[in-house]
Amino acid sequence: MKTKESYHLQNPTWCKGCGLFGIFDALKRAAAALEIEPEDMVIVTGIGCHGRLNNYFNAYGFHGLHGRAMPVATGIKLVNPRLQVVAVSGDGDAYSIGLGHFVHALRKNVGLTYIVSDNRVYALTQGQVSPTTEFGTVTLSTPLGSKDFPIDGPSLALAAGGTYIARGFSGEVALLASLIERGMRHDGFALIDILSPCVTHNKVNSYDWYRQHIVHVEEIPGYSPKDKAKAWDALNDPEKIAVGLIYEEDKPSFEGLVLPDRDKPVAALDLKVDIPRLDKIIDTFR
Amino acid sequence: MINDLAVMIAGKAGDGVLFTGNVLAKLLKRHGWEIVTSRDFPSNIRGESTCYTVRASLDKIYGLSDQVNILLAFDCEAILAHLPEIAPNGIVLCDGQGLMAPPPEKARDKTFHRFYLRALAREQFGQEIFKNVIALGGLSYVLDLDPSFLEGIISEMFLKRKGEEVVRKNIQAARFGYKKAKEITAETERHPLTKRGDEGRILISGDEAIGLGALAAGCRFFAAYPICPATEVWQWLVHYLPDFGGVTVQTEDELAALNMTLGASFAGARAMTATSGPGASLMMEAFSLAGMAEIPAVIAHVQRLGPATGMPTKSQQEDVLQWIFGSHGEFPRIVLAPGTVSECFDLTVGAFNLADKYQCPVIVLTELDMGQNFRTARAFDFAAVKVDRGRLLGPDELRNALDFKRYEMTVDGVSPRSLPSYKNGVHLAESLEHNEKGYRDEDPLNRRRMMEKRMRKLEQATPDLFPPQTWGSQKAEVGFIGFGSTLGAVLEAMERLRAESIPSRFLQLRTLWPFPAGEVRQFLAESREIFVVEHNFSGQLATLIKSQISPCGELKSILNYSTLPFTPREIVDPVLRSRR
Repeated sequence: MKTKESYHLQNPTWCKGCGLFGIFDALKRAAAALEIEPEDMVIVTGIGCHGRLNNYFNAYGFHGLHGRAMPVATGIKLVNPRLQVVAVSGDGDAYSIGLGHFVHALRKNVGLTYIVSDNRVYALTQGQVSPTTEFGTVTLSTPLGSKDFPIDGPSLALAAGGTYIARGFSGEVALLASLIERGMRHDGFALIDILSPCVTHNKVNSYDWYRQHIVHVEEIPGYSPKDKAKAWDALNDPEKIAVGLIYEEDKPSFEGLVLPDRDKPVAALDLKVDIPRLDKIIDTFR
Repeated sequence: MINDLAVMIAGKAGDGVLFTGNVLAKLLKRHGWEIVTSRDFPSNIRGESTCYTVRASLDKIYGLSDQVNILLAFDCEAILAHLPEIAPNGIVLCDGQGLMAPPPEKARDKTFHRFYLRALAREQFGQEIFKNVIALGGLSYVLDLDPSFLEGIISEMFLKRKGEEVVRKNIQAARFGYKKAKEITAETERHPLTKRGDEGRILISGDEAIGLGALAAGCRFFAAYPICPATEVWQWLVHYLPDFGGVTVQTEDELAALNMTLGASFAGARAMTATSGPGASLMMEAFSLAGMAEIPAVIAHVQRLGPATGMPTKSQQEDVLQWIFGSHGEFPRIVLAPGTVSECFDLTVGAFNLADKYQCPVIVLTELDMGQNFRTARAFDFAAVKVDRGRLLGPDELRNALDFKRYEMTVDGVSPRSLPSYKNGVHLAESLEHNEKGYRDEDPLNRRRMMEKRMRKLEQATPDLFPPQTWGSQKAEVGFIGFGSTLGAVLEAMERLRAESIPSRFLQLRTLWPFPAGEVRQFLAESREIFVVEHNFSGQLATLIKSQISPCGELKSILNYSTLPFTPREIVDPVLRSRR
């Protein structure tokens, strides 16, 4: 029997009140609900405050380069699909420097759980504009206010063929844990975009601000996560930010399609030199 | 008796020059000849001039000569373009309406014949496509080859894919071409070749040999982005990896290709990517990550002409220093440079073992000339392939591990590795400077110790690396130093210098980094005059030698940064000039 303590390595040193605490807690709860052995889980992180997660979470980890969590996680999943591979990124990681990787891992439908902690600011570098920062926001890099129009990860995912698209809020850990857990069970790519306040560098999008601006999709009359049109409408509501399971569909996962045998991980193959077989191949050059 | 010959097939992209050249190369190989092919082609699918040269010799050869004995041209343009290369007694067969024979003073000793391949193909077989097999039949006659050999190759190529009818028609076309060439050419114009046993040799490109080396060495994950001239490594592997339980992935870019390779390697697979030019620049970022996180990875880099997009279908050796000194930060890396197709195989196998043993990125650095062209070799010896995963712990070894340290301080700097799913081996592969456990650590002393740990991994690696190969006379005043596919031109230049009573030696570097300073220093000491031969503008190898050996005396560079690989003459001439 696993509890969230099974994955707790040490207490984080994020700023007091950081949304990442909620994410850390929710991820531990989701792992416990699935009874995952720490050695069967790999957390791949990008660069940003979220990247410290590996130091706190008891599981295999890969803290790579800024924006490159997706290809690393894809490589891990493909050679050992039995592993629960969770990638964690910030909004800069996922939607700016790593945007190409995000869209392609998603359209390939690789069986990854992608947690994007969106605080709408570059926090680790002390507060520059991020791709999700609201238009007009004054930041270190935009003293006259941001002139970029923000992008929305879940909308992008929906357009690119995402098969599990959810949005959570760091202030609602129980819901977040259930969205992550369900994403981890999903056979294919699961995006969990998370509204996650930065208490130090983003004084606008606070917990209270989010509480006033979110709407849970279950509260939308007639909402169904199987209905792409409804999902699109919910994501593009100018007044409210939709939270919950936005969209879900069944589609074959990439590893299911490309691996000769999912139960024989590439990573565990016997690499003995098969001389007769190779000799047969070399005949094609004679 | 003819013991060396070059046949050039020229035309427009889309004419079937590649097909015709490939078949001719195989045909000559089966008659027991050593083969080196060379293609000069544009980065374009159709319409521009392209040519394919098959050089055949009774001696072991590794590169091209500087003349053409037989030119088969699908149009007349090629004749004027290649006239200076056509040897005395050369014969030109041309399917064209335009100007064919050049002015008499230039055409001396050469014969020119119209060979209306397209018209004949249409009249006799209803389709122009048969022109290539007619041409091959014609060449079989001119070279006095055994017609059954061509027919055998036609059957092998077409029977499975296209059926008996296609085979029958093509064999007819081959016989027709043979007969037609007999009508056109005089007996004295033929270049009859000796026939020898084939001895089970193979005809293979460097890219394919790298692919085969990877397969034999246990590479089971390959991620790449299409790029000329490295794509063939992958295009070959893609057919075989699934049968061996492996997988190939086409990624969105080269950033992803190397990062994905690192992910797969971290999780336990022997993993590889291949690239060239701009792709290699994109990989620089993750190259550094492999060094810091100590993740084994093999990167095949088939060099093409740069900078920028440069010329994607031309060979060059411009990216040497990029891999040796490149990327941000300092970290251990190994750079291997095969000079023959056999070495492409052997060094790729070695690259995987080195990557696992030293837990660092290993580059197999070749060039387009080696990668895309075909050369004969003895069949590779798979019994000699050993798979050594280095200090990779298994689940059993970890059973009682209480405090596994992925980056444990060890005497040789190499730390034990565990894989995800192994109990008691949980760890973090970390791109930040880290401590023995893998966790971020900014302590100055820790930084110093970790840097030293990583950098000392290769201090004792020399016995595992591929030592330089010395070619030529024991005692020689002239010494050449080079690497990669310049080998063929250098060896032939040495032969010609010998004929001029100038003995010479060649030090062929097969490991560029860690730099084989001992061997190079000795070679320098034993030579009166040193020429560093490289296919680039600035003399990158010479720069490397000077940076690693001090004092090193005068190095004379023989450089070529044109679109074509070295010919022997381009190496002989500067040597003769310097001695005048």
